[in-house]
Amino acid sequence: MTIQTLDISPVGRVEGDLDVRVDIEDGRVVNAWTHAELFRGFEIILRGKDPQAGLIVTPRICGICGGSHLTSASWALDTLWSTEVPRNAILARNLGQIAETMQSIPRYFYGLFAIDLTNKKYRRSRYYEEACRRFAAYTGKSYEIGVTISAKPVEIYALLGGQWPHSSYMVPGGVMCAPTLTDITRAWAILEYFRTNWLEPVWLGCSLERYEQIHTYDDFMDWLDEDRNHRESDLGFYWRMGLDIGLDRYGAGVGKYVTWGYLAHEDKYQKPTVEGRNAAMIMKGGVYDSFSDTHSLMDQSFLRENTTHSWYDEGTADIHPSDRTTKPTANNTKDFENAYSWSSAVLHKDFGRLEAGPLARQLVAGGNHGESWQHQDGFILDAFKNMGGANVHLRQLARVHELVKLYRQAEHCLREFKLNDPWYIKPTEKDGKGWGATEAARGALSHWVEVEGGKIKNYQVIAPGTWNIGPRDGEGKRGPIEEALIGTPIYDSSDPVEVGHVARAFDSCLVCTVHAHDAKTGEELARFRTA
Amino acid sequence: MTNVLWLQGGACSGNTMSFLNAEEPTVCDLIADFGIKVLWHPSLGLELGNDLQNLLQDCVSGKIPLDILVFEGSVVNAPNGTGEWNRFADRPMKDWLTDLSQAAKFIVAVGDCATWGGIPAMSPNPSESQGLQFLKREEGGFLGKDFVSKAGLPVINIPGCPAHPDWITQILVAIATGRIADIALDELHRPQTFFNTYTQTGCTRNVHFAYKASTGEFGQRKGCLFYDLGCRGPMTHSSCNRILWNRVSSKTRVGMPCLGCTEPEFPFFDLQPGTVFKTQTVMGVPKELPPGVKKKDYAILTMVAKDAAPAWAEEDFFTV
Repeated sequence: MTIQTLDISPVGRVEGDLDVRVDIEDGRVVNAWTHAELFRGFEIILRGKDPQAGLIVTPRICGICGGSHLTSASWALDTLWSTEVPRNAILARNLGQIAETMQSIPRYFYGLFAIDLTNKKYRRSRYYEEACRRFAAYTGKSYEIGVTISAKPVEIYALLGGQWPHSSYMVPGGVMCAPTLTDITRAWAILEYFRTNWLEPVWLGCSLERYEQIHTYDDFMDWLDEDRNHRESDLGFYWRMGLDIGLDRYGAGVGKYVTWGYLAHEDKYQKPTVEGRNAAMIMKGGVYDSFSDTHSLMDQSFLRENTTHSWYDEGTADIHPSDRTTKPTANNTKDFENAYSWSSAVLHKDFGRLEAGPLARQLVAGGNHGESWQHQDGFILDAFKNMGGANVHLRQLARVHELVKLYRQAEHCLREFKLNDPWYIKPTEKDGKGWGATEAARGALSHWVEVEGGKIKNYQVIAPGTWNIGPRDGEGKRGPIEEALIGTPIYDSSDPVEVGHVARAFDSCLVCTVHAHDAKTGEELARFRTA
Repeated sequence: MTNVLWLQGGACSGNTMSFLNAEEPTVCDLIADFGIKVLWHPSLGLELGNDLQNLLQDCVSGKIPLDILVFEGSVVNAPNGTGEWNRFADRPMKDWLTDLSQAAKFIVAVGDCATWGGIPAMSPNPSESQGLQFLKREEGGFLGKDFVSKAGLPVINIPGCPAHPDWITQILVAIATGRIADIALDELHRPQTFFNTYTQTGCTRNVHFAYKASTGEFGQRKGCLFYDLGCRGPMTHSSCNRILWNRVSSKTRVGMPCLGCTEPEFPFFDLQPGTVFKTQTVMGVPKELPPGVKKKDYAILTMVAKDAAPAWAEEDFFTV
């Protein structure tokens, strides 16, 4: 029996190296612990600062989802100051969010995930040589196209925000920019370039219209068989290879899923309130419980945080995130019986631990809950049922499936801008509490802000990583990635690529490093990066 | 072949993400056409089956020549100088830095956190963060004032939150092609070629600055952001309006005030209440004036500029 430790870094909320310890028995993972290894203390930094400090500081929590943090931070202030947000501004915020996520998908898929398909473990797969041709780091044909094309969508973000990453163009009351015909035309052209140079020819092997006819798993498999171009596209090739090498056979997780929903409807959320948010999102929020096959609505009041196994001196009770005080423990010694992570454990008061991310979004999109006008799409939910639940492979499919939908939403924003209408309505600053949320590419993100005496009294963030990477909770229950690692087959304990696949399937933003230790000697056998 | 090792301390990966947006050369070009070998990078490195600790140790021992060490993120010293709040490969990151800094031919600090401490070092600096050779404007930082790498240069600072991808790629290429000696550094160790001019240089709102026509509030296509909205463009050293961002724009062009993020004081005034997106004034005059401008002269300039301003300076300028 060997024990392996996997380091993932960074993690959304405290953004740092996260280690994962796994126990392996008879070639399979039987236990796992995830722990975040960097603390910067953003919530502490924000205390006592200008109410709008979050617009500058929180994007810097994560350079990958900075626009998502900005989205949450600005909506939080909107609800706090009871602003009016003009229609144009809602569209401009949505377009920024969409552009960031469209950047993230190819960058993540090629740069962080697919390169591992070239791992020697798969050399016996009949897809292996082609995988190397396509996905090899820096030199693979698709890798180079994919990583380069990933810079294109954020050019649209820059047309609105001046730059990506780290603009603060979204502000309570709207946006700072007032795009002109030039900006909108260029944005359209960039979007088209993305479609005609990569999305259709390289990724899908078909038109967006043809892909949009896929509504069930059978439709998808029929699409695959229908045309050589579908099979040989990067999506078609990846799907076939993943089935061949068994990526569909492990990485299940907790079986319950959460999304806040995102993209505020431009006509339904001009007077933002915390209570009114969820019913005003185009992509609906909610919780999907696969054990009872039920969907339910999500609300920020359902959230709890637990720091029993985290390096904070804040007790062991489940508390609401807005009640947290963020008191880091100076001595962060790893103790797997007690505290072993900078991440807290996040829970739903009724459902417990939930998985966040693209898979969660798509499983919720398949439900009949929410408003009748909200986006509904049953494809991934159907695939989930066909495949017997979640797995590494399906998480990838869910993530890339959003590309075409986001493309359509981007078109919608560009169509709907009315260039002579307002982009900003100056709000009146006041004390109080606010909450804002969105979906970053990698899952549910929310900010709580409390302002007293004209300065921040408390600022709390729950990032996708906090949901997924959190350690055991007060009841000792494993977090989503810890749970997803259980049962993972390890083909070669000196190179446990599968542990990497599972961790990467959650797209934990960056690096994970796997060390494998021989349990008897504690000798380290291997280490490699995952993301 | 120029070996590059890229590590992250108290980082958000913003500079990595910025770097990946590079064009002319792209990151792939850098590797294919400029002889740069990335030994390891937190989000790109592919060490399957290899032991990263061994790779790092080989860099430390000199077995693998370490031509360029790129560091992103702050150096975390908490708690109490131990660095345990930022562990990497089973060791405080700062201990790796101590060892690697002795082995590296050149060291490049990318982004504000690595250069001056950046946002993590904002008051109260819970992570006890420093930059590599500065803490804010104060020389020293983690490696000390007198530190020089093996090639005889101090840490080359490429600040910004994030740094522009071209600033990063061009410095890497300059080193790889033996041209780094042509590059003069300023007193903050920034390459002058990018940081000698002001953010304002090339700003499309310059003419409004000249006529003292202000952008009163956000979401407008006219005026200059310096007078009311706290723009630091005239006082900030960067090439953001010469070498545009993401090929297309800049903060000030779209109507966002420059935050001065290439300067050590960023975020200015520690984001104290009343300092965000608001120009700090005394009797209606901005507290901070463009470098070298005297208050008295500024007052005269203002009067003349306002008197001379054509009517269009107050109208919507960049119409739809």
